[in-house]
Amino acid sequence: MNSSSAEGKRRQRFDSLVTVFHQDMYRFAAWLCRDKAIAEDVVQEALLRAWKSLDSLRDDAAAKHWLLTIVRRENARYFERRRLETVDIDNLTASQAALLAETPDRELDDLREAIFGLDDDYREPLVLQVLMGYSTSEIAEMMGLKQGAVLTRLHRARHKLKDSVAEQ
Amino acid sequence: MTSERDNEFRALDLKIAKALQIDVPELKMPELPDVDTVNVASLPVRKRSLKPLWFAVAATVVLATSISVRMSGVFESYDSLAEEVLAHVDHEPGAFRNVDIPVSDERLIRAIPASLATYERGTSLITYAQSCVINGHDVPHLVIQGQYGPVTILLMPEEQIAEATPLDGDNVKGIILPVGKGSIAIIGDRQELLEPIQQNVVNSVSWTT
Repeated sequence: MNSSSAEGKRRQRFDSLVTVFHQDMYRFAAWLCRDKAIAEDVVQEALLRAWKSLDSLRDDAAAKHWLLTIVRRENARYFERRRLETVDIDNLTASQAALLAETPDRELDDLREAIFGLDDDYREPLVLQVLMGYSTSEIAEMMGLKQGAVLTRLHRARHKLKDSVAEQ
Repeated sequence: MTSERDNEFRALDLKIAKALQIDVPELKMPELPDVDTVNVASLPVRKRSLKPLWFAVAATVVLATSISVRMSGVFESYDSLAEEVLAHVDHEPGAFRNVDIPVSDERLIRAIPASLATYERGTSLITYAQSCVINGHDVPHLVIQGQYGPVTILLMPEEQIAEATPLDGDNVKGIILPVGKGSIAIIGDRQELLEPIQQNVVNSVSWTT
């Protein structure tokens, strides 16, 4: 196999994976960092890193987990660098507020705002379970937690959301 | 009772899932650098700019010494850190340009995450900054402009070496310096006076870990 052919196949493989998982990567990043512009930056960095280490992904069936793990790591890097302050929900930047852009559905808006207001520790496992479809054991592995801790966080997250929505 | 509560939470989950489905902007693919496609035979004949890119010669040296390993099927493996460093420099051609445009502070911060190291920018003209992977570790890759062209700097906080290791190619020279618990590789043109650059770089870097 010559170089251009190998490069072409590599690029084709990468493009296919990105096409399939880009939305998941972006949504995961957006709910982790709660800022649309930062989420785009995080995804860009994650794509670059994924491209460089694509050969370490032996099985494309594991691509989603692999890509989301890279997004998670890039998000952590971003915040390590920036040491951003806590998000004040009453004083959001335009890019943060964009995540909560109003829809015709008031209940959906309220719920989105409640998710936005959850602590990172609760929001991340919730997104991984409800949006990404991971089991609690997979989330535990991804987050470096015990499964019991994940279950507790998920339980509390749902209760907080339920209470928030009930108050609205 | 339990069933009622289960249903309640199931309904809540459906709403949560819907709330999490935010709009996704159109995919903007970043500029993807050339990557070694794990094809030994093709590496020496990769097309290059007509401009003399003296770093390219480093690849010839590396390939000449490592080709037997690669041909045996142990692709992407190197006999030594020195070989991997030289190979990496060759395979990131975007870094080799002779330019006078400094990278932004933002780019520099991205390339050197605070979790790895801090780097005092000083007066060096840094024209390239990228986070790379060498020997499985994240390695900030910088290029500064020296008297005779680009000088590559690889900050390797997790590569501890016992003593300084010279790097030698037909038209390039360099060194891997032990610095604390890590090391720093500096590679430039054979005519480049690397010692003052080494001193500056070592003084500018602090490992975080």
